[in-house]
Amino acid sequence: MIKNHPSLEQLRAYVDGTLGSCDSLVIAAHCDMCEKCQAEVAQLTEVLASESLSLKNELSDQPRYSSMIESILQLPELPQENAIVENVSIELDGREFVLPPSLRRYASVTGSWSKLVGKLWQAPVNIGGTGKANFIFMEKGGSVPEHTHKGRETTLVINGEFSDGMNTYKSGDFIYLNDTHTHSPLSNHEDGCLVFSIIDEPLHFTSGVARLLNPFSHLFF
Amino acid sequence: MLVGIPLEDRQKTVNSKECADSLSAQLVLVAEQRSKPAFAALFNHFAPRLRSYALKQIGNEALAMELVQDTMSKVWQKSHLFNADKGSPSTWIFTIARNIRFDMLRKLQNRKEDICSDDLWPVLCEQTADVNEISIDEKVTLEQVGGLFANLPRKQQVVIEAIYIDGKSQQEVATELDIPLGTVKSRTRLALIRLKEMLKDHD
Repeated sequence: MIKNHPSLEQLRAYVDGTLGSCDSLVIAAHCDMCEKCQAEVAQLTEVLASESLSLKNELSDQPRYSSMIESILQLPELPQENAIVENVSIELDGREFVLPPSLRRYASVTGSWSKLVGKLWQAPVNIGGTGKANFIFMEKGGSVPEHTHKGRETTLVINGEFSDGMNTYKSGDFIYLNDTHTHSPLSNHEDGCLVFSIIDEPLHFTSGVARLLNPFSHLFF
Repeated sequence: MLVGIPLEDRQKTVNSKECADSLSAQLVLVAEQRSKPAFAALFNHFAPRLRSYALKQIGNEALAMELVQDTMSKVWQKSHLFNADKGSPSTWIFTIARNIRFDMLRKLQNRKEDICSDDLWPVLCEQTADVNEISIDEKVTLEQVGGLFANLPRKQQVVIEAIYIDGKSQQEVATELDIPLGTVKSRTRLALIRLKEMLKDHD
C-alpha cells in the first residue's frame, strides 16, 4: 500500500506542464506504480483540458488558417514506431530490479555502481542539466548519515523499504524533501532498499563525523 | 479544396457531450479514412482554442501559431492513436499541445536536462501491449475463443488471425492488406469487444 504521494498542487503542476522536469520525472515514475495518482492525473488532465481549450475569452482577431490546414493535409500519416526499450531493469550484484516504465529510458545512461560508506551503493544517472539523479541502494542495515538538503530532493522507492526516523517508506512511495527537513535514512528490510533520487543541490550533513564530509559532499552525491 | 468551410464555431450551441461525441466521430473518420472534411471540422473547432491557450501560456503570436500547427499536424498524422475509451478528443488534443509547449519552453529556457515530454507523458507512443492486455486480463484460452471466432465478420477474422495467431504487428497487417493502420486498430478493437461480449453471453 503506497502511503506517500505527491501533493495535489504538485500533481496539478505536473499535468499542466509547469513543474520542473526533474520533479516531473519522479512523479511520472510514481504514477506508473500508483493507481490512485494515475486516476487523479487522468481526472486533472480532463479538467485542465476543458479549462484550457474553452473559448471563454475568444479573440476577435482570428488569423486565417486556410494555408495552415492545406500544409498539414500534405503530411503523410506517420507509420507506427514501436518504442524500443532495451533495458527494463537495472542490475546490482546479480539482482535484477525492474524499473517503472518512465525510468526505463534512463537505464542505458546509468553509470556503474560504486560502494559508499555504510552498506550504501550508488549509480549515477546522466540526465544532463544541473540536477543530480542517482539510483541508491541500501543493503539491510545500511544507512545514510543524518543530513539536510540545501536544495530539493525528490525520491521514489522502487523496491524494498527504508525509514528515516520520521516515516517508513515502501515501494512506490514518493518523498519530497527541502531544506527544512533533516533525516537519516536507514534500511532494515530483508531485501534492502532501492530508490531513485534527484537532488538539485548537494546534501548538507549535520551530525557527527559525517559533518567532515560536507566539503566533499559534492563527491558523495 | 477546403474553401467554404466556415471558421466560426458552430458547435457552440450543441451541448458538450454531443459535441465530444461528434468530435470523436470525426477523429475516427480521420484515422480510418483519412477524411479531409472531418479533419477540417476538427481543425476549425480546435485551432482557435489552441491559439488562445498558447497565447496565454507563451504570449508570443508566432510561437502560438507554431504550437497550433504542430499540434494539429500530430492530430492529422497520429489520429490512429486516439482511443475514445480513454478520454475525449479535447483531452487528447490538450495533452498533445501541453507536450509540445513543454518542449518548446524547455528549448527557450535552454534547459540542459535530457527529459522531454515523451518521457513524462507518453501520449503519442504506440501501445502495442494494449490489445494483448485484454486477452490476458480475461484469461481467455484459444479453445474457448475458437468456436466464437467463426461468428466474427470475415474482415475482423483476418486481422485477428494475423495478429494473434501469426504474431504480426498491426503495421505489418496494414501493409499486407493495404489498408490504413487505423482500420486495423479499429477492427482489432471491435473484434475483441465482440469476442468479450460473446464470452459473457457464453458463461
